[in-house]
Amino acid sequence: MRFTFRALPAAGGGALTPRPVVDIALEGLQAAPIGCLLDTGALRTRMSAEMAPLAGIELSGDLTEQFYIAGVKTAGTMARVNLMVTDGTDEFSWDAPVWFCEPWPHPFGLAGLEGFLHHFLVTIHAYHGYLEIEPEPVHVEAGGRRN
Amino acid sequence: MPTMTVSGHQYSLDSRSVEAALHGALPEPIHEHFVVINGRRWPPKQVLALVTGLDRADFTTHHARRVLTRLGFTAGRAVTRGGRHPVIPAAAPPPPSAVSGMDERPALAAETLRPFIGLWVAVRGDEVLVAAPSPRQVVAWLAQHRQRAQSMFRVVDCEQDITGAAPQ
Repeated sequence: MRFTFRALPAAGGGALTPRPVVDIALEGLQAAPIGCLLDTGALRTRMSAEMAPLAGIELSGDLTEQFYIAGVKTAGTMARVNLMVTDGTDEFSWDAPVWFCEPWPHPFGLAGLEGFLHHFLVTIHAYHGYLEIEPEPVHVEAGGRRN
Repeated sequence: MPTMTVSGHQYSLDSRSVEAALHGALPEPIHEHFVVINGRRWPPKQVLALVTGLDRADFTTHHARRVLTRLGFTAGRAVTRGGRHPVIPAAAPPPPSAVSGMDERPALAAETLRPFIGLWVAVRGDEVLVAAPSPRQVVAWLAQHRQRAQSMFRVVDCEQDITGAAPQ
């Protein structure tokens, strides 16, 4: 499954350097997969806490952590959720921990080791501006099923 | 200010009054005809209904197009891809792609996103379906119009807004 790097407009004209972004849908919010910056250095997969109620996810607050991101102190609450990626033809889904963070001033979520990279073989073709993911069979099966 | 007759009523309209009437509204899905206002595509009947307060059944799409093109707005017709599904664009036509389209899906060009800097967008292929100040509004629009996006994110225009996402 291939994702073309995401191009964004630059303030002074032209475009920013395209970034590796994967679109991850939360169960309950399949109509609006959330653009997530691929972050090989991040342990967690993080999104704005604003997304949780939109997907019908209740954050119990049992497992929370505070951390700094881009100089901003934020708090994350973990929830195990079913996630899904699709390219319109194939579809992969898996169950994973996602940390819903407040505040979250960033334009994308972050796809880190837990929650995303542990579940896929990811090949980044940065020069050509795209990345490919293949599910690791231990964790994910094609066609929407999960282990 | 030109005077237009719509469904037997007379209105004094200009492009600014039309733009002002759209403030705070979100464009509905485009099925075929559209007009470009402030860099976004709008269904002509939605625009004229917002401007005049009339019911959409009171005038035709072609009448709405005529009124709006007389005010200086560009009108167009969406092309059906593959002859199966109408495209549902919310953005003005993009210039040539900034990124070579290696995906099977058409690449979203940076310039397509420029009118939406600072907003949350839902995109599909090379089209912006909807743009709004919050993801809640975007999701509500998708549900209301039974649309499915490929990706939802906030449009930023400086490198620091992206690189700053890395944890410290």
